[in-house]
Amino acid sequence: MSQRVNLDLKQDLIQFGVEDWNECFHCGNCTATCPLTNDGSLFPRKAIRQAQMGLKDSLSANVDPWLCYYCGDCTESCPRDANPGELMMSLRRYLTSVYDWTGLSKLFYTKHWFEIIAVFVLAIVVGLLFSVFNPNQIVYELNAQGGVQINKMFPIHYVHLGDIIMAIIVAFLLISNIFNMWYKTILKLKVKVPFIAYITSIFSLIFHFGTQAKFSKCDTKGKRYWGSHFLLMTGYTIMFILVVAFLPNFQTEKIHEWYHPQRILGYYATFGLLFGLIVMFIGRFRKSSEKFKFSHLSDWLFIIMLFLTTLTGILVHFFRIGGMVDATYWSYVIHLAILVPMICIEVPFSKWSHLAYRPFAIYFDALKKAALAKQYKSKLATAA
Amino acid sequence: MGENNLTAIYFCKLSNGYTDVVDNIEVEEYAKKIPNVRITWQAADLSLTNPDFIVKSVKENNLSRIIIAGDEAGMYKSFFAKALVKAGGKPENVLLASFKEYGALKKSDTDRAKAIVACAVYGVAFEEAAKPDVADVNPNTLVIGGGIAGIQASLEIAGGNQKVFLVEKTGTIGGHMAMFDKTFPTLDCAACILTPKMVDVGQHPNIDLMTYCEVQSVEGVPGDYKIKILKKAKFVDSSTCIGCGTCSEKCPVKVPSEFDSEISLRKAIYIPFPQAVPNKYILDAENCRYIQENGKCGVCQKVCPVPDCIDYTMKDEVVEINVGNIIVSTGFKTFDAKKADQFGYGKFPNVLTSLELERLINAAGPTEGNIVYRTQDKKGNWIFQDGSEVPNKVAVIHCVGSRDENHNKYCSKVCCMYSLKLAHLVKEKLPNADVSEFYIDMRAFGKGYEEFYERIDNEGINIIRGRTATVEQSGKQLRLRSEDIEGARIIEENYDMVVLAVGLEANKDSLDLAKMLGITADHDGWLNEANYIGDPVNTYTGGISIAGVCQGPKDIPDTVAQASAAASRVLQSILNGKINNSIKDLSLDNIVSRAKELSTIMEEKV
Repeated sequence: MSQRVNLDLKQDLIQFGVEDWNECFHCGNCTATCPLTNDGSLFPRKAIRQAQMGLKDSLSANVDPWLCYYCGDCTESCPRDANPGELMMSLRRYLTSVYDWTGLSKLFYTKHWFEIIAVFVLAIVVGLLFSVFNPNQIVYELNAQGGVQINKMFPIHYVHLGDIIMAIIVAFLLISNIFNMWYKTILKLKVKVPFIAYITSIFSLIFHFGTQAKFSKCDTKGKRYWGSHFLLMTGYTIMFILVVAFLPNFQTEKIHEWYHPQRILGYYATFGLLFGLIVMFIGRFRKSSEKFKFSHLSDWLFIIMLFLTTLTGILVHFFRIGGMVDATYWSYVIHLAILVPMICIEVPFSKWSHLAYRPFAIYFDALKKAALAKQYKSKLATAA
Repeated sequence: MGENNLTAIYFCKLSNGYTDVVDNIEVEEYAKKIPNVRITWQAADLSLTNPDFIVKSVKENNLSRIIIAGDEAGMYKSFFAKALVKAGGKPENVLLASFKEYGALKKSDTDRAKAIVACAVYGVAFEEAAKPDVADVNPNTLVIGGGIAGIQASLEIAGGNQKVFLVEKTGTIGGHMAMFDKTFPTLDCAACILTPKMVDVGQHPNIDLMTYCEVQSVEGVPGDYKIKILKKAKFVDSSTCIGCGTCSEKCPVKVPSEFDSEISLRKAIYIPFPQAVPNKYILDAENCRYIQENGKCGVCQKVCPVPDCIDYTMKDEVVEINVGNIIVSTGFKTFDAKKADQFGYGKFPNVLTSLELERLINAAGPTEGNIVYRTQDKKGNWIFQDGSEVPNKVAVIHCVGSRDENHNKYCSKVCCMYSLKLAHLVKEKLPNADVSEFYIDMRAFGKGYEEFYERIDNEGINIIRGRTATVEQSGKQLRLRSEDIEGARIIEENYDMVVLAVGLEANKDSLDLAKMLGITADHDGWLNEANYIGDPVNTYTGGISIAGVCQGPKDIPDTVAQASAAASRVLQSILNGKINNSIKDLSLDNIVSRAKELSTIMEEKV
């Protein structure tokens, strides 16, 4: 495929975080030192090449950055101090904006003030909606178990409805972005993927989403990232499903016994979230490893908002059990005022989206490889 | 003067990854005070993207000249020349004040940098302005270091009928070249070129060869240096030793042989190698059982056929000599491959350095040139023994310790070529072996070198572009992981033997010596020459020249050429009977007032 060299690509990419990658002299050390590379996936060097040469189309079609989990081995051993690991991180930000057809992602990533203002505006709107514009009164009467009657203050069916509307909008944005990713990496290049591969590769999509088996390979040389990230991811996913799909079962008036699945799952998710987030906070503060040395605003914002959401969620839970009505009311309002902007901004437009793009990148990568294998086979057949 | 000479000075960025650099701000402050200097720019404050700003400044200030000062001043010349022309000036009025060319590299060289800028402003070449007085010269010469550079320089000067003292730290002259099997690109036998020269040195009436000696102190002025030389005790009387070798045969102590890069063992009383010059035995006191264990052995003395030849009570001596000129040719050491721990050198026995393979492959080496696995002997030493298993797959990894921000940033220049040579030699001895080279860029830089590379490429050696990332033990073999950039694939294969093409590094000894001699070294430890381009053998200290790898990585032909050049400088001063004093002793005011003088003379001529 012929393509034009994009002279502005470098300036574009610089906005997404990395300083300069022209240090790279293409020795291939990064690719060889990476525990995840194989014959079909020669990253990070191939992506650096595309960035250096201004091949915007190739870069947009490249899913390799999503296959990297940033263990930092390449950066540590790079003979040119070109920092390939952080380039891959910046390319993930860039690709997020490439897939996002609304253009908001690019704004959020490149204009820091825009992202911060957006978060605050949404937070204020949600906060007002649930406090000043809440038609219900604060109910001081406790239920039979001595808990706060939270569903009388915030009628659960309205909250759930809003919840579902938000989920639909966000899902629509995210899924359309994934389709865009599919278009850019497969359809636009006219990769002839055998149809059966679409079905057989779904297993790997689900497997890698659930286990992050590839990430576990990055735990080399005494690094331990997979465990805490797995806890965080599963905690988050469980909480997300509970809140979005099962809110009426999750936010019940009746306080169940501690061993009830609702509470066990909730506690596991809370623990996973807190543990994973604390590991990340410590890492980013100490800058102890290559992975955490550079922190973009989006990296901070993601963990800060997630942490605050978790914290206020915990407060709501304990205030409610403890029968503290006012505290429950206001912590719930704050909880939503952080949760809603986090989901609306982070999920389709910012760092959260890697939860979807990573497994899909593995999926699309498998499709591309299946297409190549088929092409190779047919070539062999014609040669014979 | 007809036209005005108003000048602007642009100071390039100097850091280049180093912290100890010329203080540009101080130089700028100084330059502002020189007449005619109107504007100064620091690279940090002026982005070189838009020439319009320069054009505007030139017009507004009525400038006629721009001087670019810094290490790589020439890099920016075209930019400023275009701007000056656009403003109506002449392109030849962009002048360079190159710090690097005149060896102003570190913070301590800031005064020299000021002088370089001042000379540029006055329109005088720095070497014209920085001309020291002359002094009388003692015709004797000291050459420090007996490698190929020292040998060549000594022979040249001695051939001119002048007295040379050649001081060598080890027990023999020959240096690294004596360890090599073949030389690139002709594949001549290194010993066939070197040993006749070594013998010449040993026999030359004008050369006083002092092996096992070290320079202890240097005093005096250019043309008349007083040198104290420490003669380490050899415990063998060189004048009576007949070199029969009986002592070495019977000696019970075995230690790693330095000459064989520690891949074989030598005795405590030894000659470094059979062709050593002088061909006399040395007793290594640190390992001698008699000396270390208070007279418990004494076998060598008992078997020595010459009475009183071996004397355990011999003491170090200090000799004093007077010389006029000194040539420093202290060479290099190879990069310590243990520092690049991803390759497992020192952990895995069959990861070798190139120097080790060089000895292994040499017909005079421990296995008579048979390439075998490194195995353990009865006492547990990892050495190469004839008759061990033969490797079938050999990989050579380039750029170990070189071109690497984690170790040495520079290119060691010779490794690509010697790696190709080694690959060829392995293939020659083991025609069925699979030999691979892993390189970053193939630097075949000299006469006949590219042709040599092509020849090796056609010999069935896999030359793979890609820097190897890791080497790990995998059973008996070594698992190597590298990207094959041109083949667009990952290579993860097992090899029997991995050879690390280690780079060259400055000697710590040569740095100590430099301090003693009052000469300087650059950030990497290579000794500084008076002029990077125009005078690569003299230094800023009068009467001291440098030759060979101690000045910077280079191959044997270049080393020999530089040694001859250094010798010609020395002979020139001896023939004239006069020697230049040290440029480093000239003060800034000295140089600048001379530059002023010269510039007025030039103007008067115009």
